[in-house]
Amino acid sequence: MFSGWNWVAHGLYLLWNICSLGVSGGLVQSCGHIIPESPVLTLGSSFTALCILNESCLDFGNIYANQIIWKIKNRVVPKEQYREINRTVSSVTFNDTSSLANPLTCNILADGQIEQNIYGITVTVGLPPEKPKNLSCIVRQVSKLAYPMTCTWNPGKPTFLDTHFRLKYRWPQENFPDCIPKDVNNSCMITDVQFFVNLEVWVEAENALGKAESDPLVLDPIEIVKPLSPHNLSVNSEILPTVLKLSWENRISAAVMKLKFNIRYRIMGDTNWMQVPPEDTASPRTSFSVQGLRPYTEYVFSIRCMKEDGVGYWSDWSEEKTGVTTEDKPSKGPPIWRSIAASHSPTFWTVHLMWKALEPFEANGVIFKYEVTVRSKSSLSSLVEKHNVNTTNLTLKLPNGTYEVTVIAHNRVGASPPSVLLIPASNSKAPVKSVRTLPKDGKLWVGWTAPNSYVLKYVIEWCLVSNSSDCIIEWQNEPGNVQGTYLKGDIKPFKCYLITVYPLYADGQGSGQSVKAYLQQDRPSKGPTVQTKKVGKAEAVLTWNHLTVDEQNGFIRSYTIFYKTVDGNETAVTVDPSKTEYTLSSLTSDTLYTVRMMAYTDEGGRSGPDFTFTTQKFGKGEIEAIVVPVCLAFLLIVLLGVLFCFNKRDLIKKHIWPIVPDPSKSNIAQWSPQVPAKHNFSSKDQMYPEGSFTDVSVVEIEADDKKSFSEQDLKPFDLLKKEKSTSEGHSSGIGGSSCMSSPRQSVSDSDEGETTQNTSSTVQYSTVVLNGYRDQTPVQVFSRSESTQPLLDSEERSEDQAGGGDSTTQRQHYFKQNGGQDETNTDRPCFERTKQIIHANEGDLVGFAQLQISGQSSQLLGLGLEKNTQEAALSDVLQASTEGQTVRSESVEGNPMLVDEMPKSYLPQTVRQGGYMPQ
Amino acid sequence: MAAADNTSAALRRRDLCSRGIRLAGKMRSDVVDLLDTYVERQGLDASASVAAVEGVPVAAVERWDEQTGTQRLLENLAAYRAFRALLAQMLEEQQEQLGEADTTLGQALAAVLLQVSAFTYHLEELLRLESRGPPSEEGPEPPPAPHLSLFERKLRGLGVLRELAQWAVRSTRDLRQLAKPNPGSSSAASLAESP
Repeated sequence: MFSGWNWVAHGLYLLWNICSLGVSGGLVQSCGHIIPESPVLTLGSSFTALCILNESCLDFGNIYANQIIWKIKNRVVPKEQYREINRTVSSVTFNDTSSLANPLTCNILADGQIEQNIYGITVTVGLPPEKPKNLSCIVRQVSKLAYPMTCTWNPGKPTFLDTHFRLKYRWPQENFPDCIPKDVNNSCMITDVQFFVNLEVWVEAENALGKAESDPLVLDPIEIVKPLSPHNLSVNSEILPTVLKLSWENRISAAVMKLKFNIRYRIMGDTNWMQVPPEDTASPRTSFSVQGLRPYTEYVFSIRCMKEDGVGYWSDWSEEKTGVTTEDKPSKGPPIWRSIAASHSPTFWTVHLMWKALEPFEANGVIFKYEVTVRSKSSLSSLVEKHNVNTTNLTLKLPNGTYEVTVIAHNRVGASPPSVLLIPASNSKAPVKSVRTLPKDGKLWVGWTAPNSYVLKYVIEWCLVSNSSDCIIEWQNEPGNVQGTYLKGDIKPFKCYLITVYPLYADGQGSGQSVKAYLQQDRPSKGPTVQTKKVGKAEAVLTWNHLTVDEQNGFIRSYTIFYKTVDGNETAVTVDPSKTEYTLSSLTSDTLYTVRMMAYTDEGGRSGPDFTFTTQKFGKGEIEAIVVPVCLAFLLIVLLGVLFCFNKRDLIKKHIWPIVPDPSKSNIAQWSPQVPAKHNFSSKDQMYPEGSFTDVSVVEIEADDKKSFSEQDLKPFDLLKKEKSTSEGHSSGIGGSSCMSSPRQSVSDSDEGETTQNTSSTVQYSTVVLNGYRDQTPVQVFSRSESTQPLLDSEERSEDQAGGGDSTTQRQHYFKQNGGQDETNTDRPCFERTKQIIHANEGDLVGFAQLQISGQSSQLLGLGLEKNTQEAALSDVLQASTEGQTVRSESVEGNPMLVDEMPKSYLPQTVRQGGYMPQ
Repeated sequence: MAAADNTSAALRRRDLCSRGIRLAGKMRSDVVDLLDTYVERQGLDASASVAAVEGVPVAAVERWDEQTGTQRLLENLAAYRAFRALLAQMLEEQQEQLGEADTTLGQALAAVLLQVSAFTYHLEELLRLESRGPPSEEGPEPPPAPHLSLFERKLRGLGVLRELAQWAVRSTRDLRQLAKPNPGSSSAASLAESP
């Protein structure tokens, strides 16, 4: 703590000493100074500064050189750069002055703690001036007597210092005051120079670091003069229409220099200058006649001058002056062409003559009229027509033939040579070949191959092909020795032009050859709109219309069809541009497709709108291909089933219809008192020698009168026949005993003439049990069925009817036997009956049918069924009878039973032992 | 080596003559213009006749065609040295009289003065090529300018310019004569002039 206060007190004392020393001289006096004082240093050089302390400071402040600290802009210079010369002098050295900054200060660290500034300097760093280079001078005349000379030079790289440039010049015997540049350092103007004396010129550059002089330039100022251009230029027309005379004034004295000139001129409106040959104007003058000009043309002239010997500079071009040459007669006739239209009269043409106005350089004046002469070349006619018009077209109605048309243009001076066009009756001459076009330099070039014959000239016709406007013909003439030209007209890009080339011969004209061309092509403005014409399962026929000419913007090179499914990749198909239809194949059925179409020119393509379609689920004929085989297969199966059933009918019969024993062949039949036992017995014995019947059904059939089957009753017959429906009846007879029907349901096999069979629903009426076997005497037991089915009722009724019924009603006993006997045998009795009935009603077709029905449907008839039921049964019978008669005719003969022998009533009886009595 | 020097000297001489002729031509042109300006600005009559001014060399000479080249050069040199002094005096008087107001006349006078100086240099160079060297200007002192009135000074100035214009014409002819390829003339003249 004490040490700290001691340091502070010592510092204050030192400060007081310094201040007291500074003030001791009366004014503030520094304790030291730096040498050099504010030096100017060369950039990149080394620099050493010395700080010299005053002796007085040493005594009072205990300040020594070893306490000196050098600073550059408050940054302490490393002590490695210090050197203590002696106790009062310290030096600092900088190897590169570029590291210096201002100010450079010398400071003292009093007692090692308090830093006190002693002195400071400002260092200026720069470069000495470079030697000025490329000194050049020019004397620009500014007036008739004023010739200031301006010299320019390259001052060299910047010096970062204030550098003064002086342009010095002198005569050998006389010096002139220096020219000091103003605001610049690379040029100076000497206001007046004297010619014809060599002048030595050089540049001196000087700054704080040095001085440099350029190489001297020795010149006579007259050799570097850029004179003022001639003025007061005037242009006057001469008598000759191709000459204009120029006059001017020179603004430099001939005593100073002799001049030569350049004269340039151009046609008004043209940008290209022409020049009078320089050798024609290489001598001093103040006028010149320009020749070879076009008549009646406005020209623009300008002139410049320079020293005659070519030493020095050209003046600027003078102001432009215009002049117009006088008129001359037209130099050529107007180009002429025609278009011929059919007139209303077949013997006349409507000839539309058209010619082009002469170019100004051809007209040579103002064309005030055209003289058109039409001469007939036909030997029969000497038609000559003359027309004076001031338009450039003329429409004439001429008789068919060959004509020579002459057009002459007139101006105020005279007439042009005639333009002749031969209008032949037909264009039968050779055409040009290979007409082609080529866009070039923004213009459309048309080329062709000349025909073999000599061609006077060619006519190139063209028009813009557009849907929105007519083809307006433009044309131009070309000489016969060329085979190509640029179309001279406003040819627009992206537009289609139809170009036709006609060769004109001395005796006619060739037919035109045409070509279409574009100056510049672009993408089509729209794409084709595609749509489907027909969509199938895997293909689709697309159709579109060609783009219109206005939409094409170029030659359509190809179409590309893009199609894709919703989530599939796009497929592209390139189509010939001549097509308007395309069939997409290999498509997926029942799929939504998106299709679009692009039309391409040489410059690219553009797509049309998307179109979607869905392919069909089934292809053409596919449904038919499925349905027809299925139907055929069904029919085949049905047929096979029928055949199978037919072949296995026995087996089917066995399982479906229970075997009903033929009661007629039973012993009980023999037992029946109403049936001669011998007859049946004998036959039965023959038929069933072993008499092994298991079941016997007895059916009583009662045939109705013929009248009961009216025609009306036969009507539904066909329906039933067609439907092959099961004939439903209220059979109350013995089930299954009917020859053609079953009591409830019978299979519609009546078509085949099969005998009806009992269904499984048939109710057994009774059972005959043969106990005997072969040689043994069987014990027969008759048991009555306990069934309460209508059969029994019917049976009861039939019995009732049999007892008290109509005497005209025929009753038939029908016996059917089963039990493994042959079918034919089983059926035989039925047909026997039928046959006999037919005999009984011979000649009556209705009766025949009725009898057949009654014979085969005896069960129905005999039981007195309803009328409809009878009719249904009738249809079955009618069908079955046709076959049954022929097939089974033999068995009929073998049937011993007669109608007359048919019992009137039915009683179950026991023929042999063990008789049966109704209870 | 001597031949090369002779050729170089001949070219130098021809060049000096050519440019001297053109300088004389321009000087005459400028002097003519200056005369117009001078007459106008000094309010003089262009047709006023001026008597011979003392100290102004006279261009007219008898037997001009008999003069030698050196003689011509010496007479020209003497004349133009005199004109240089007279023009300088005129310029000083003009500046005293008109100050900076009439810079056109002053500039024109200064330009003519420069041309006279330049022509003097040409003559001196030609004389050096003649192996004679120009005579020293320290000749007889020009007579002190008499005290003249303003009008008299104007008239004297007019006389100086007119005579200078005459000298310009004569100098042109003299230099053309010198430029002619007559190498023996100058030496003959020199010999003739030699005592």
